[in-house]
Amino acid sequence: MRKKLVTKAVPPVLAAVLLTTMLTGCRFGFASDPDDPNEEEKEVPIDTSVDTFEYDSSLSGTNITLLNSKAEIQVALEKMGAEYEKKSGVHVEVMPVTDGDSPYTKVVSLYNSGTPPTASILDTTDVIALAEEKAADLTEEPWVEEAEGYITEVNGKVYSFPLCIEGRGIIYNKAVIEEMLGESFDADSVTTQADFLKLLDRLVDAGMEKPVSMAKEDWSLGAHQLQYIYETYEGTSEGAQEVIEKIKAGKLDLASYDRLSEFLDTFDILKKYNVAKGDPLGADYDEMAIDLADGKTAFWFNGNWAWPNISEAGAEEEDEYGFLPYFLNDDEDDFVNQQIQASPSKQVMLDGQIATEKEQKAAKEFLNWIVFSEIGQQMLVKTCNIIPPFQNNPYEPSDPLSADIYQKVHEGKAFNASAIVPNDHWAVLGAAMQKYLVDRSDREELTESIQEYWDEQE
Amino acid sequence: MKQTTVGGTKRKVMNALAMAGLVIIFIAYMFPFIMVVINSLKQKRDIIKSPFSWLFTIKGLSFDNFVKAFTQMDFINAFKNSLLVTVSATVLVTLFAAMLAYYIVRHNNGISKLTFALMVASMIIPFQAIMIPLVSIYGGTLNILNHRLTLIFMHTGFSMAMSVFMFHGFIKGNVPMALEEAAYIDGCTHSQTFFKIVLPLLKPIISTMVILNSLAFWNDFLLPSLVLTDKKLLTLPLSTYSFYGTYSADYGTIMAGLLLCVVPILILYVVLQKQIIGGVVAGAVK
Amino acid sequence: MRSKNNGKDFCMFALPGMFCFFAVVIIPFVYGVYLTLTDWNGVSKVKNFIGLKNFGGVMQDGQFWTSLLLTFKYVIFVVLIVNVLAFGIAYLLTRGIKGQNFFRAGFFTPNLIGGIVLGYIWQFVFSRVFVNIGESTGWKLFEVSWLSDPTNAFIALVVVSVWQLSGYMILIYVAGFMGLSEDVMEAASIDGASGFVKLKNIIMPLMMSSITICLFLTLSRAFMVYDVNLSLTAGAPYGTTEMAAMHVYEKAFTSRQFGVGQAEALILFIIVAVISGLQVYLTKKQEVEA
Repeated sequence: MRKKLVTKAVPPVLAAVLLTTMLTGCRFGFASDPDDPNEEEKEVPIDTSVDTFEYDSSLSGTNITLLNSKAEIQVALEKMGAEYEKKSGVHVEVMPVTDGDSPYTKVVSLYNSGTPPTASILDTTDVIALAEEKAADLTEEPWVEEAEGYITEVNGKVYSFPLCIEGRGIIYNKAVIEEMLGESFDADSVTTQADFLKLLDRLVDAGMEKPVSMAKEDWSLGAHQLQYIYETYEGTSEGAQEVIEKIKAGKLDLASYDRLSEFLDTFDILKKYNVAKGDPLGADYDEMAIDLADGKTAFWFNGNWAWPNISEAGAEEEDEYGFLPYFLNDDEDDFVNQQIQASPSKQVMLDGQIATEKEQKAAKEFLNWIVFSEIGQQMLVKTCNIIPPFQNNPYEPSDPLSADIYQKVHEGKAFNASAIVPNDHWAVLGAAMQKYLVDRSDREELTESIQEYWDEQE
Repeated sequence: MKQTTVGGTKRKVMNALAMAGLVIIFIAYMFPFIMVVINSLKQKRDIIKSPFSWLFTIKGLSFDNFVKAFTQMDFINAFKNSLLVTVSATVLVTLFAAMLAYYIVRHNNGISKLTFALMVASMIIPFQAIMIPLVSIYGGTLNILNHRLTLIFMHTGFSMAMSVFMFHGFIKGNVPMALEEAAYIDGCTHSQTFFKIVLPLLKPIISTMVILNSLAFWNDFLLPSLVLTDKKLLTLPLSTYSFYGTYSADYGTIMAGLLLCVVPILILYVVLQKQIIGGVVAGAVK
Repeated sequence: MRSKNNGKDFCMFALPGMFCFFAVVIIPFVYGVYLTLTDWNGVSKVKNFIGLKNFGGVMQDGQFWTSLLLTFKYVIFVVLIVNVLAFGIAYLLTRGIKGQNFFRAGFFTPNLIGGIVLGYIWQFVFSRVFVNIGESTGWKLFEVSWLSDPTNAFIALVVVSVWQLSGYMILIYVAGFMGLSEDVMEAASIDGASGFVKLKNIIMPLMMSSITICLFLTLSRAFMVYDVNLSLTAGAPYGTTEMAAMHVYEKAFTSRQFGVGQAEALILFIIVAVISGLQVYLTKKQEVEA
């Protein structure tokens, strides 16, 4: 009898409990922890008093869509869109790329359904694939001059707007290094691979067992790390293309290619001092950030896009972080040991195939606004936390990583080389690098896989 | 009513062992779910550093994640959309599949056989194979994407096969022709017979299919992501996109968001539980 | 009497369902097959007919066949384990134990969590929770994340799939067991049949129809595994757990060889259809009327 009652009572009780759980979602707001790093970042005030931009009133009321593949700036872009709408009357709908989708796939399926976004933020490789057939020609746009040196051309024409400069290198936590060594640390004093090695050893002796955090993700290893071998060929994008063509044609013997072996030497050093050495592939991206912020490690190879993760892990903007160059050898005069790689990573492409004249014009004007309006300029840098590739933009990003890159770009301590590789480069060669990371393959095998990959490409 | 136990002690021991084994396996099954519940109350840092602990967290427990998830997902709006799509599609597919299965069972002609065979075969087609053609036809050629109605239509189409399959088995085994014959003799038309006599008999299998189909529609991500692009139209699973960054994800909020999405279905399941067992009994086993 | 109203019956009963099905499933599928015969890359306005050239590309794609082989291995494990486990648990759950309904509900809950999120949760469990256990207890098995090693990652994939599929199958088997007539069982016991003999000669044949369905469902779902594959391992470590469906998707969208990807999807479909068809045919022959 009792059993029956219990079995009868359980479902409705369960249902009630579940229902309350759902409702608490909307009613109970426990007081938020003031130290919570997930807390909304302080709003950076935008000075809207000065705005010399001329708005074309005939465009008011137009609707354009912007596909955003940079999840970190989704909210910021929405704010920018709102601000722009206030001034121009043009509504910008910022579409995020849903999880599990690649931006390219999203754009392709949207083109297939006849509703492509008016503007899309994509990687340079994606833009080049789509440009000639789908993109609007932007060669005559006024901002092309301002972004000199950071423009991507396809067959002599410009089809995309460089959105941001991103740089990468060996991130270091200055405070931690100084604490461990008991002396002040000047990043400029480390000028060669040997210097770096010495620094690592000193940290180990001081008690930091493994001072390096290494990400295991295939895009980190296959794109951000491996692509150095193309970029450092000459330090230019043209040089990168040249060496890639040579490898494809079989004219470059990878086994004796100096940049490859130098790169692997440095990679080996990072491997040796990797905090996750016991299980490199088990390294968790977020944990790497936490380790760096906590001071368990002192170095993390990454780019300035990693700042949100480090800040989430507890770092403040006033903390001192910076980039060391990715040293490749002991030659002090080699540009590689002096400069950080920084290139425009995301490009905005405008639809030239389906969008109406008015929509295209409105989109072009939005881009102009970002470059020439004081408000647009501010928001790009301060709200989106982006390093602008435009010479006329006077604002500086505030987080230590972006600020470091910004400084280096302006001091001539950065080289701009971006290698255009096929879309699956990071996946295929990233996998090969992972194998090397866990010592399941050796340099020979890795070199072979690289050569094989390029042999397969047309 | 106690079951007559044969065998005395040995039987009791076996039963106890079986029970123990069952409980262990059960915990293993519920384990991930429990983890989700625990961690939805923690902040990201704690989730990464100490995923197990309930009490010893640095940041403490809170419903923050739920609040955050609720607002960022635009929960009420997404809930409305999910509800609309799920209910409509479920009603349509249940009705159409019952009717179609009924036709196939009662009129075993060439068309029926062909359709049934195609349906069974189609349950194997990988969605990736139809994804782009589907979008090209309905978007590129017909331009009816980005409407919830289109989504409802597609959900119905995709779930037809499985539903017809289940209904078919049930009708064949559990709806005697004699009943229908009697109805005709009494002067009922075919449709009256179907709606007044046959359909009520199908209650168990209908409950089963309702739960299975609603579950599928409610949780579906891929199809809605292809069809719906307008933010105001997003269903619940789609609305969790903002929690996934490019390189890492906001785990606490994701878990909270997941629970918020799953709870309605859980409630429905708990309420319909009895019906499901009954339904699957007769339907599938033919 | 029936044939006279056949046309009307057809329109009223069959047409709506058939229309939805054909419009949403069959027609895109046929179009998809047509696309495998063109050089369309997914975006361009131009589609040229190139015959079977894409299928030639499939032959050259070594990785496709490797992942297909891996999928076969995976399917065998999953189908066997799921069905044995589900069968066993269902049997236990139909003997009148206390809290039966509660257990049945509990075992079904994994199904409530959908594809991608499921993978995330398990990935979380494997890479963080397990490792945590390993670190605090020193239990060697859990110290290193299972997902870092090809063999262990494969095992992890099997475990998660079994976890997800068995809940569904348990339900079907429970239904099947409940459909077994008590009289037949008792008659067999009275005749002196031991547990095992009873199982082999009475229960199995009578349960054949449930087994047919469960085998069919597990077979097709295991072959088509994608969601869990993507979110749990994404093919890692270094591409060793990339199953067929995932490979097809990568080929079509990441490597941008759309035509070849589509052709591979078609081949995958044919293989699975043949195997499932065979399976259903063989097991249906064993079915016995109650």
